[in-house]
Amino acid sequence: MVWLCKRETLRVSKLWTQTVLAPVVSSILFILVFGLSLGGRIKQVGGVDYEVFIVPGLITMGMVQAAYSNNASTIFQARFDRYVNDVLSAPMRPWQMSFGFTVGGVVRALAIGLALLVLAFFLVDVPVKHPFELALAMALGLVLFASLGLVVGIYAETFDHTSFIQNIVILPLTFVGGVFYSIDILPSPWQELSHFNPIFYLVNAVRYGFLGESDVSILLSLAVTAALAIPAYLWAQHLFTTGKRLKD
Amino acid sequence: MYREDTPALELRGLTKRYDDGTLALEDFDLKIPAGAFFGLLGPNGAGKTTLISAVCNLLRVTDGEVLVFGEPHDGLDARSWVGLAEQDINLDRFLTVKETLVYHGGYFGMKDPGPRADELIDAFGLQAKRDVRAPRLSGGQRRRLLLARALMHKPRLVILDEPTAGVDFELRMDLWRYIRQLHAEGTTILLTTHYLEEAEELCEEIALIRGGHLIARDSAEGLREHFGVSRLTDVYVKAMAS
Repeated sequence: MVWLCKRETLRVSKLWTQTVLAPVVSSILFILVFGLSLGGRIKQVGGVDYEVFIVPGLITMGMVQAAYSNNASTIFQARFDRYVNDVLSAPMRPWQMSFGFTVGGVVRALAIGLALLVLAFFLVDVPVKHPFELALAMALGLVLFASLGLVVGIYAETFDHTSFIQNIVILPLTFVGGVFYSIDILPSPWQELSHFNPIFYLVNAVRYGFLGESDVSILLSLAVTAALAIPAYLWAQHLFTTGKRLKD
Repeated sequence: MYREDTPALELRGLTKRYDDGTLALEDFDLKIPAGAFFGLLGPNGAGKTTLISAVCNLLRVTDGEVLVFGEPHDGLDARSWVGLAEQDINLDRFLTVKETLVYHGGYFGMKDPGPRADELIDAFGLQAKRDVRAPRLSGGQRRRLLLARALMHKPRLVILDEPTAGVDFELRMDLWRYIRQLHAEGTTILLTTHYLEEAEELCEEIALIRGGHLIARDSAEGLREHFGVSRLTDVYVKAMAS
C-alpha cells in the first residue's frame, strides 16, 4: 500500500505544472480579479472584506476539484492502459488499493491548499480562526471528492465522462455554493434551494474555519459533509472489494 | 528438475460467463505440476486469456475454484507467488524502466526492490533505458520490460500470455533463453502462444483448448501419437476441427 501511495504521489509531483501550479494560478487570479474588481463595489460581506470573504471558498473549490480530477484521471488511465492489473494482481487488500489510489488526490489537493493559503495570507491577510474545524472540514471534503473521483474514474467509459461530471456537476454546484457570495443576499426561492447543494455546506464549514463566519451552523455543515463523504468512500471501497467494473 | 507434490496450479470446475452472456470457460478442470513448463494452445476466443485472468485475480470468476500451490488464488500468499506478463503491453506511462520494476516489487511486498530491479535491467539489456519512461521505449524494449516486471518479485509460477507475439526473431530467441533459464531454476511456467513451434520447442506438456473446454492434453509427442499425425500443426488442425 505504501508503494501505491508513493506511486500516486510521484504522479502528482511529475506533473506538478498541471496538477499543482495551474490550479494555484487560476485560484489566485480569481482572488485578484474578483477581489479587486468586485471588492471595490461590495466592500464587506457579514463584516468581512470581500477579497477576504471569497478566499475560503476559492481554496475549497481548488482543493476539491483537484482531489476529484486527480483520482478520476489516475484510475481511468490505469484502467484504460490496463496497468491497473499490476495493482489488482498484487498481494494487497481491497482497502489498501482504494486507500492508495485516494492518496494522490489528497496530496495534490493539500499542495494546492497550502500554496493558496500562503499566497492568500500575503495578498489579503486571511485569518484562521478555528483551525480544528477547518482541518476537519477539509479532511471530510477531500475524502468526499477523492472518493467520488475514484468512483467516476472506475465507471467512466471515456475520459469525457470524468470531465462531464467535473464541468456539469461539480463546477456549477461549487459556483452556486456560496463561494463568491453569502446566500443571505439571494431572493427566495434561491436561498432555500441553496440548502440542497451539498457543496454549500462544505464551503461554509471551511469559511467558518477561516473567518468564524458561516451561513449555517458549523455542526450541520460538518454533519452534511460527513454524511456524503462516508458513503462515497465506502462506495469506492466496495468497487475494489467486489472488482465491479475493475475486473470485468 | 524441481518438483513437489502440490500442483502449481489447479482449476476445479472453473466457469466464467461475462456480463454480455458469453461463456468463456465452462466447468474447466486443469492441474499443472510444480516445476512444469506447460503450454496452452487454442484459437482466439478459446478462453486462454480468460483462464489466465482468473488465476491472476483480474476477473470475477462465475463458478469454480482456483488453487495456486494449494492456496486459494485470491489469497495474499497465492498472489505473491504468481508473476504475469500479459499479451498486451500494459506498462505504467508515468514510470521509468527502473521505477516500473521498483514499484512492482513494492506492490508485491519486497522490502528493498532496488537491487533486484538493477539485476533485471542488466539481465534484460535495458541499462541504457533505465531512466526512460515506458512510452518512449521501442516495442522490443517494452516486451523485455514486461517480462522483467513479471519476474521482479521472484514468483514461483510465471504466466506468459503470448510473450513473443509480434517480436522479431532475435528478440524471440532472447526471450526463449530467459524463459528456459527461469524454468531450469525451478520456476513453473504457463505459456500461451499461437506459435506451435514455440510450444513444441519449450513446453513439456501442452493443453489444447477451444470454446472454453479442454480438448486434449499431453506432451507434443503424445499429442502427435494420439492424433496419428507427424506434426504438431496437424494435431492442432485436427483438434480444432473435431
